[in-house]
Parts: sequence; C-alpha cells; structure tokens
Amino acid sequence: MVATTQQTPKEADKKKADDKKVPEKAEPKKEEMSEEDQKLEEDLNLLVQRLSEPDTTLYKPSLETMRTLIRASTTSMTSVPKPLKFMRPHYNKMKEIFTSIVAPDVKKLCADIISVLAMTSDERTDTINYRILGSHEPIGDWGHEYVRHLAMEMSEEWKKEGTSDARKAELLKLTQDIVSHHMKHNAEVEACDLLIEIERIDLLISYVQEVDHQRVCLYLLSCAPLTPDPDNIILIRTALQLYLKFNRYLEAVRCAIMVNDIPQVHQIFAKASDPLLRKQMAILLGRHQIFLDYEGSADSDALAELNSNAHLYEYFHSLARELDIMEPKTPEGIYKSHLEHSRPFGNSAQPDSTRMNLAAALVNGFVNCGFGVDKMMAETEEASRWFYKNKEYGMLTAAASQGLIWRWDIDTGLAQCDRFLYINDDYIKAGTLLAIGIISSGIQDACDPASALLLDHVQSDRSIMRVGSILGLGLAYANSKRETVTKNEERGVIFELKKVLSDQKPSAIPEVKGLAGLSLGLILVGTADAEAAMEMLQALMDKSETELTDPNMRFLALGIALIFLQTQDKSDVFVESLRSLPDPFGAMVSTLVEVCAYAGTGNVLKIQKLLHLCSEHYETPAAEKKTAASRGPRGPAPAAATPARPAAQPGNVNVAGTPAPTGTPAVAPAAPRRDLPGAASAATPGAPETAAADATPAPPAKPDLSSQQAVAVLGIGLIAMGDDIGSQMALRMFGHLIRYGEPVIRRAVPLALSLLSVSNPQLNILETLSKFSHDSDADTAHNAIFAMGLVGAGTNNARLVAMLRNLASYHYKDQVSLMLVRIAQGLTHLGKGTMTLNPWHSDRQLLSPSALASLLSICFSFLDANNTILNNRQHYLLYTLVLAMQPRMLTTLVEDEMKPGSLKQLNVSVRVGQAVDVVAQAGKPKTITGFQTHTTPVLLAHGERAELANDEYLSVTPHLEGLVILKKNPDYQPVVVSTKK
Amino acid sequence: MGQQQSGFGGRGNDRGAGDGEKKEKKKYEAPIPSRIGKKKKGSKGPDAASKLPAVTPHARCRLKLLKSERIKDYLLMEQEFIQNQERLKPQEERQEEERAKVDELRGTPMAVGSLEEIIDDQHAIVSTNVGSEHYVNIMSFVDKEQLEPGCSVLLNHKNHAVIGVLSDDTDPMVSVMKLEKAPQETYADVGGLDQQIQEIKEAVELPLTHPEYYEEMGIRPPKGVILYGCPGTGKTLLAKAVANQTSATFLRIVGSELIQKYLGDGPKMVRELFRVAEENAPSIVFIDEIDAVGTKRYDSNSGGEREIQRTMLELLNQLDGFDSRGDVKVLMATNRIESLDPALIRPGRIDRKIEFPLPDEKTKRRIFQIHTSRMTLGKEVNLEEFITAKDELSGADIKAMCTEAGLLALRERRMRVTMEDFQKSKENVLYRKKEGAPEELYL
Repeated sequence: MVATTQQTPKEADKKKADDKKVPEKAEPKKEEMSEEDQKLEEDLNLLVQRLSEPDTTLYKPSLETMRTLIRASTTSMTSVPKPLKFMRPHYNKMKEIFTSIVAPDVKKLCADIISVLAMTSDERTDTINYRILGSHEPIGDWGHEYVRHLAMEMSEEWKKEGTSDARKAELLKLTQDIVSHHMKHNAEVEACDLLIEIERIDLLISYVQEVDHQRVCLYLLSCAPLTPDPDNIILIRTALQLYLKFNRYLEAVRCAIMVNDIPQVHQIFAKASDPLLRKQMAILLGRHQIFLDYEGSADSDALAELNSNAHLYEYFHSLARELDIMEPKTPEGIYKSHLEHSRPFGNSAQPDSTRMNLAAALVNGFVNCGFGVDKMMAETEEASRWFYKNKEYGMLTAAASQGLIWRWDIDTGLAQCDRFLYINDDYIKAGTLLAIGIISSGIQDACDPASALLLDHVQSDRSIMRVGSILGLGLAYANSKRETVTKNEERGVIFELKKVLSDQKPSAIPEVKGLAGLSLGLILVGTADAEAAMEMLQALMDKSETELTDPNMRFLALGIALIFLQTQDKSDVFVESLRSLPDPFGAMVSTLVEVCAYAGTGNVLKIQKLLHLCSEHYETPAAEKKTAASRGPRGPAPAAATPARPAAQPGNVNVAGTPAPTGTPAVAPAAPRRDLPGAASAATPGAPETAAADATPAPPAKPDLSSQQAVAVLGIGLIAMGDDIGSQMALRMFGHLIRYGEPVIRRAVPLALSLLSVSNPQLNILETLSKFSHDSDADTAHNAIFAMGLVGAGTNNARLVAMLRNLASYHYKDQVSLMLVRIAQGLTHLGKGTMTLNPWHSDRQLLSPSALASLLSICFSFLDANNTILNNRQHYLLYTLVLAMQPRMLTTLVEDEMKPGSLKQLNVSVRVGQAVDVVAQAGKPKTITGFQTHTTPVLLAHGERAELANDEYLSVTPHLEGLVILKKNPDYQPVVVSTKK
Repeated sequence: MGQQQSGFGGRGNDRGAGDGEKKEKKKYEAPIPSRIGKKKKGSKGPDAASKLPAVTPHARCRLKLLKSERIKDYLLMEQEFIQNQERLKPQEERQEEERAKVDELRGTPMAVGSLEEIIDDQHAIVSTNVGSEHYVNIMSFVDKEQLEPGCSVLLNHKNHAVIGVLSDDTDPMVSVMKLEKAPQETYADVGGLDQQIQEIKEAVELPLTHPEYYEEMGIRPPKGVILYGCPGTGKTLLAKAVANQTSATFLRIVGSELIQKYLGDGPKMVRELFRVAEENAPSIVFIDEIDAVGTKRYDSNSGGEREIQRTMLELLNQLDGFDSRGDVKVLMATNRIESLDPALIRPGRIDRKIEFPLPDEKTKRRIFQIHTSRMTLGKEVNLEEFITAKDELSGADIKAMCTEAGLLALRERRMRVTMEDFQKSKENVLYRKKEGAPEELYL
C-alpha cells in the first residue's frame, strides 16, 4: 500500500482560507513553482482535457494515469497534496465527465477518483456517494486519511432523516470495510467510534483480533460511564462478548458484575475449565461480596471457600506481620492528646464522660479491626469493666465493638463472643449478637453460624435483643444469594425478616421495624426485588402521617431504596407507587429510590433534576408564624412581607411544572441541553398561577422540602461518583450549593463530598471539610467532622491527623463534636492504615454494591444525626460501615504442590506505582509510573497499581489487587537462574 | 493524577513502640511542613473556581468528546442553577454583609509589614516599619497561596495580625519581551525558503495546533528549533511570520540582552523569560543572536565570561529541565552555529536545525519582486541583470539595494528609480559588505 498523506477537513478549511489570499499574487506564485510541480500540473490539466474530448478510447488510460499520480504523491502534513490541489479547480468538470461516461468500468474508475477529490470539496457526502458508485477496490489503497474521511461522512449520512433501508444496506457494507481497515492498521479507537456513532457496536465483535482486543475493550469500558443508558449497558455487554470470544473469562466475569448479571456469571463459570482461573474468579466475586452457590461442579467446595473469603483473616494477619503492626494500639495512642495545642486548665476540664468512653470503644474497634488482639477487651473482666462504663445502648455499642476486633475470624471470634452471651444484661447480649454479625460480614461459612445464632432472637419478646440480631443478620448476609438466605420458608433469613415487618407484638417497636427494613435492603441490595419492596411499602402505607415522622421509618425507606440500588430504569414503576405516601415523607422516599437507582452511573439528567430540587426555597412553619405575627402590629409590614411570597411561589410552581419521568430517559447525548428550554418553558406559565395564588385569601400550604433536598444533595454525590470528570465537576457544583442553598443543603454537602472521595484524602476536599468543621451551625460541623473521617479512612494521612488534632482542641468543650472527632481519628487509622472504605476496586472498574449501600446508610443516618446516631441510643448504626471495610493489600498465591487443589502464599517481587491512564494511547505504554519494588504482601494506596517485577510467574488476572493467583511461567529463562546462582 | 499519596502504617514508628510501659515518655512529632509560601503550579484554594478537569486521552476520539460533553453539561447546569438563584435571592446583599464583617475584622488603619518567617498554617513572624518583629496570627480570610517569606503584608494596627497580602511588582523587562501585537509579516512575505517553512511548521506550529497527531504516533513533538545561516538570509523574518501565523504568545529577546551588568541578573532573566512563557502557554520563545551567550565553553579568567557561561547554563537547564514544557516552543537564530556549545544544540534541547542558505536565482527573483512591488520603477530597469549576476547577495542585501536605490532617486528629487540607481546601490552594498565599513552611517 502506498502511504499517501491525504487532506483532512481542517486542512481543507485552511486551504479555502489560503485561496482568498492567492488571487492577488496568483501570477507571481505560478512563476515560483518548481519544474516538477509545473510538469505535474500540466500533466493533470492535459488529462482532464483528454477526458473532455469525444475520443472515448483515451478515457481509461487517462484515468489510470491520474490515479497513479494521485496515489504516488507524498508530502508533509502541513500542506495539501499537490495533485489534489491542482485537481480541485476541475472538480465540477470531473463530475460532468462522470455523467457522460458510458462504459461501466471506466465510469467506476472515474467515480473512484471523484470520491478522493471530494475530500477537498464542500459537498458533504460526495466521498461516500462516489465510493459506492466506484469499483470497490480495497479501501486502504487511497491512504488512511481517505478512510478517516469516509468514516466522518458515514456518521452524518447514517443519522440523516429519510435514509432508506436499501441505502442503509449499502452504507453498512461500506462501514464494514472501514472498520476492517481500521482494525488492521492500529486505529481500533476510530473503528469503535464509528460503530458507536451509528449504533451498531455489535458489528465490532467479528473484526477484533486477539492482538488488539484488550485495547478495544479498555476503550469501550472507558466510554461506558460517560454514555447515557441504555447505550452504556450495550458497550459493557459488547466488551463482555469480546472477552468471551478470546477466552478471557476473568475479564468477562468482571463485565458481567458491572451489569449485575448473575446468570451470566454462572454461564462463564460453566465455560471456564482452568482450575486456577475459576478460583481467581471466585476470589473476585468474594471481593465484590457477591456470594453464590457452586453446587454441581467438581471443585464446588474449593470455589465456595474462596468466594466466601474464609481465609481472608489468615492473609490479613500475614500482611500485618510483614508490616510489623500486630501490636495492639490504644485509643490514646491514636488521639495523641499530648500533641494537641495546650489550653489553660484544659486537662482538668476533661471529665470521664459516657460519650468519650463510647468513642474510645469505637476507636479501639476501628483501629484494631481484624487484628484479633487489643488491649481493652483481651480479658473478660477487663472487657466487662469497659462495657459497664457505658449505659444502656452504649453498652450495646461497646459490646459490639468486639466484632471489629475479630472480624473475618469466625472460629476464634465466636469463641470470644460466647463469653458474653449468657450474662444477665440484655444490652451486652444484644451487642454480642451484633458482634457476631459483624464478624460474619463478608464471610459465608457453610455451617452458617450467624444464622443459627441470630435467628433465634429475631422474634424475641425483648426489643433490644431484636435490634442486635436483626442488624447482625443484615451485616452478615449482605448481597448474599445463597439458599440459606433466599429460601422462602421457616429459618430463611429473608423470610424471617419479612415477618418482622408485619409483626404486631409489643416488642415490634418502630426501631425494630426500621432495622428490619434496613437489613432487608442490605441483603437484597441491587436485586430490584419488587415483592420484598412491595411488602416494605405496605408496611409504610399502614402507618399514619404522624407515625411516619418517627426517624426509624426512614430506614424502612432506605431499605426500599437499597433494593433498587444501581437498577436504573427498573425502579421507575416503583417510584410512582411511592408517591402515594403522604408528603413530605413520600416525596423524600421517591427521591431516595430514584437516587439509588442511578448511583454510580454519572447520569447527567438525574443530576440536573436533583439540582432543580435543590433550587427551591421555602419558609418553615416557624418563619411563617413570624411573618403572620409581624403583620398585626405594623401597617407597613404587609407591604414588606408581600414581596417575599412571590419568591416562594415560583418554587411551588416549578415543583408542579416538572413532570415526573414516565419512561426511559432520553437516549441522545444532546438530551441535557433539551431539558433546559423545557425547564424554562415550565417556569414561564408559572407566572399566571403565581398571580392567582397571590389573589387567594388563604395561601396554599408550602411543602416542606428539607428532607427531600438533603437526599437530593447526597444523590448528586452518589451519581457523580461514577466517573472522574463528574466527580471533579460535582465539586464545583457543591460549592454553589453551599453558597446559595438552604441550611439543610449546607448540612448535607459535607457528606456528599465524602462520597465523592472515600478513603482518598484530596487536598482541596480536606480543606473544604476542615472549613466546615468550624462552621457556626453545629449540624454542619458534625457532618463535616464525620466526613473527614470517611475521606481519610484507613490512610493514616498525616495532614488529616493534624487537622483532627486541631479540631479536638477547638471542640474540647463540646462533647458531641469531640466524640465525632475521636471517631474520625479512629476511622483515619482504620486497621492501622491497612484498610479502605472505597467501594471501587479492580482498578476502579467495579463498584461493590454492599460497600456503596454501607456508605449510603451511614451518610443517610447523618442527615438526621441528632435523631439517630447522636441520640444516645443508635450509635450502633456506625457498624453499617463494616460492609465497606476491605484490606487494601496485594497477596500472591500459588498452587501447593504438596496438597493438590489448595493454594499457599508465596512472596514475590512486585512494582507498585501510580496508575497512569493509558486508554486510546498508541503502542504499549507503561501503566504505572514512579514505582517502587516491594515483596508481597504489600499495601496499595488509592490510585496505585502493581505489576510483577520479573517473568518468573504469570498472574491469572491482569489486575494485581487483593488476592492474586500466580502460576509458573513455562518460558522463564533458566540461564538467568544459573547466572544468579 | 494529582491525588495525594497515602503513607503506609509507618513500619518504623510501630517497631519498638509498645505501650507496655504506661509511664513511657510522650513521643514528640514534628509538625507537618506548612504549605504557605510554596506556590504550586496551577493549584488554587479550595473555594476558588477550580480549573476544569484534564481530559484524556489526547488522541482525537469519541471518549475525549464524551468527556468534554460531560464537562459542558455540568457547566450548563451550573449556569442554570446560578441564574435561578440570582433571580430568587440575589447574592449582593449577603456579599456586602460579609464584606462588612471582614472589614470590621481588619480594622483601620492598616499597617504594612514584611513577612519574615512562617511558623505553621495559622501563625507567622512579621516585621513592621519601625523594625520590631511580632509573632502573630494569620487571619483565615487571607489567601495563603499568596504568602511567601519576604512578601509585603497588611497588618492589623492593634495586634499586628496578618490581614492581607500586597502583590509583588512584575519585572518590566520581561513584560517588554511579550509581543502585544503580531508582526505584520506573513509567510507570503518570505521569498523562497519553502523547505525551511515546511520544517518550521512541523516543528513549531503543528505541535501547538494539532498535538493529537504526535499522540497517535506515540512520539513527542520537537521542543526547540535553531535557525542558522549567513547574515541576512531570512531567519528573523521567518520567526516573525511564525508569530503572525499562530495565536500563541510570542516572546522575543535578543541574546545580548541576556548579558547583564550585575552578577545573577542574566540567569534570572532567563528564568523569568521561561516562567512568563509557561504562564502564558501555549507560547513561543524566540532568542535572536543566540551566539552572544551560547558559545563553546572554555576556561577563562574573565569574570564576565564566566557570568555569560552561567547564563548559558541556566538556558540549558530551562531547555532540558524536568518540566515537560509541552506547550512552550523555543526558536533560536544565529549566524555562527559552529561556535555554539554542543550541549546547546544536541537533540532533546534543540531538535531541529534549519539552515538558511543564500538565495538562488528563483529566490532572488522572488525577493526582488517583493521589495519592488510598491516602488515606481523606470521602464529601463532590468532586474534580471542583478538576478543572474554571480555576486553573493543575501535577502537583506537585496532589500538594502532596493532601499538604497530609492534613496538615491529621492536625493535627486526624481519620482522614478532608474537602472543607474540600482547599479550604484549595488556597488555600495557590496562595498560595505566586503570592506566592513560601519553600516550605521547608512541606516
């Protein structure tokens, strides 16, 4: 193939601009042409002249010579190829010649040449038209720029209105030629772009080769979060098909997890025959906390063991020993109070308060999470002493902190907890039940000890026991799809929890029912189980408007929302049903469900809708009373009060004017722009209604949007976290919400900021939260302090630690704030810096629904913190975070030759460095930069990647993260080994 | 990825740090280094309107389009939100109220002092006009990004707390280098030099206008270009044409300007020059007569020579520093490339060397055409005689000939330039060129 540099559209525009300058100096310029250029121009002019003559025998050789001249030209990218430049004045003449030619083969040859010349003309589709009329030679003969130009015109032609089916068939044939050429010449990205543009990405599968399927899939998966649904699902499924085509089953499972397609996961398991690969797939599912049954295959026991994370604590302890951090830490070791800024008489003002004791228990649990050793509860008597320093629910929370210490270690943990199951105090027993749930979370034992121990108390006559057991079951079986959980009979976990919803016993207090709803949401997260959701909705409908104001009912709503987590349009029908609940509870629930359905998708339409919701302003009943009171004493007061009302009225009209989505959101990427005039038109008719409302003697009741707006703010963070661009742009949006929003919005923004950056302490986010932690509004400060803990969770970030120490000095008189500072300090040192709360894993490709549900639960609780976590009763809600706690480690395993079928840990050298975005880059770029060489097990920070340091072993998975299975490289060079020896 | 690295658990800290001894001494921890006074490129405070995210990949593809569209969507939503809020609840009242609070905190009158030392993020040592030094607070509304040791600050008149920052003056010498208006010359005013124009387009223009071409090929665009050749062959003219053609910021400096009287000023000017280029990227830096500072290094007892070498070392460092300087292109011009230091013109610093030869017949004809196109010539004038002559005329020589001929005609009050005028002017130009007569007399 002759490498011809052809003209691009931009250079064509440049050529037109140059043409305007040429006429003045056309004469001198021609004189300056080189001899070769003059000859070329004369030759081309002569050829055109011959084509105009009646002698048809000269046509074919003339056209062939012309083609040869065009193809042979080579020149710089900075100018138009000379044959095209010289032929441009003859473009229209060539078209006339084409119409007059009779011989078919000559006509086709002429069409080919006109197709190339059309790249320099203003006719938008001539290149395609004459290509179809031409001789269909291999498409690459005219050079890469020609193919690129065809692709550009193809997109426009395909979308034109009125394109017939026959025309589309022709275009499709040409498209396939273009795609085939692109795939052969390292332009996979352009091939993907063309097929996405014409919405026929399925054609891609037959053209991808083994050598470039990785780049294609990486590109498709990178485009998916930025594409509106349902096209984003199509992109992921196409990548899945490509991976299956080339037997990359592990990557295929990852794609199936992205679309939450469990049957597909089973199918891929059936196809994969490599035992190590199947084990790695099971490990991946365990990391994602999807727990399946593996009956029917020979290695079902081994797979179930790996999926259930049964040995996670062994690997975690190995990491801890490697890093030499097994020594337990005390809360004071975390606080380091001696480093806080000294205050006069500060020490004497520190009484031993129940809040501080409770915070110490929580911090002790967070810091020594998973280590199995601590200094507060090592002895039974010492542990009891700590428990009795608290009161009632504080004892429950303190007792439950054992669960964090013994996390993932079921055998030892249950033995330790057994000591407290038979003492007299119900609060400690309930806390121990919750601890059993915490120990079992993320692990699925075949014997199901959590189910055996906790189900007995679900129907207890004492509400406190029900609280511990119900929440424990929710944590233990989150996102589990095993038969023990899903069977619809007695002692099925879901079945038993559903019975609590309709229970009428005195011990079924709202707190118990709310927790049952939350637990059902955690277990059925992302399943779109309409039956369970309907039962929960029925439980809410049975409540009166007064009963719905109970703060525990919000957890029933949250449970419904979690069932529809990331289900997108499957939640549409249910959102409408929720509107039947009385406002403001019903509006809040429907917004919450809609927010959860699109969590992590980056859907801009939903964010826009939420922003409209946050734009409303309203007057609270207290303010209304003041307004009414101020009218009486003073005559001028009504005139002053009247202008304030029109400001509120447009808000009401906007609510009524915004129609609820009745179907799938618009697919076109331009949809966000279309909504803007729609919103404007919705606001415009509001003016007459505003006037009418003003005329009414009794103004209508103003809706209380506070709870709905708070949920909307959380929703913006939840949806925007789906892609990097959205996360960064959402920061700007939150800045505006803080500046203009109502107080309830300002309280929610710190929590939403933390959702964007969990376990990733970015400097600008830390500074923003630090500013809010000194806010004059106590609720905003509380939320900001806790958000700082979430942002720095498990990172040991020194700057954050110093910030929290300053906060401890600042808030030392406020016990609630100080308790939150201590909890944030504990979270920062989560697992002594070895853990993360980030829901993303596998190189930020997979979003764990359990972890996301956990983070959402805790942020949702803090929206009403004074009624939930900070009300001296429900501190135990902090333990919902355990679902997101995962070690950020890399451990390598190989098959044990001594015991076939089992794995043993092996220490190998790995390079750990900063991850680099290599999507759509030429060649084989390095995926990490600034690396260091370590020996596994090793810690991976946020944004870091690992790769093997040598070729002695090959990894089964391309993403070295968590538990990775290696196998010997048969091509390894023995010479190197002998040289080293 | 500007994400902050998270440290490990701190292996050294934990080893031997057992808490078995409750009475052990409390361990001191050094405070975290302060960020005040360390200007970070592109970084801004948390409340400032942050820059838009960087969009990757650079290649021209749909993913890049999708990301840009996503940014645009957010900006549109932002605009809509702000418009709605401004209509419902204007910000002006609130802003005035907050401004009044800040003014009250600042107090009046305000004193001016100097920032001597930065203790941590909230405290500093300042000195006042009377020379006394104070340990003071830094108010939270002060833009800490602007604080640098030695800068001027506003102080509260009672407790001397830092309440503002005074901007430093800009170096006027560097501002003069920046061309505010593009030169009038274009490529059309350059006679011949087609090959040179093409090379300079590939090396300078294309990386600034189409960086994706280089990204797709997996190569890095050239960083610098040096134009060399005899005097008067069009080097500076071509640089002006480049400045006219691109919309990039154009910084022009002559090599001799980098030689300064006082020690350290030359290297400082080089640093300032490249800093301005970086801040106004994409930009082109043109250094004419680079041989003034770029000659080969040799041992010298002269302090002045060593200072010139230090200036060149700074120039080398800027050309080959750790920064990628993707959007800063460097053009150099010299008559004596053989005398330049080899380090200056090695690949990686100067990637392209473009030679400007004496013009041939065709080019001479073109140059004569350009310069005589606005002159009134007599009918008997025959330029072919000069074009075909064997003299070694450069482009500047030709321009000087035309100008000289016009002056001769003007001297005799004639409105038409004659062939005789051209012949005399040619003799004068060649005479000055060969005999080295001072040219100032005829400028």
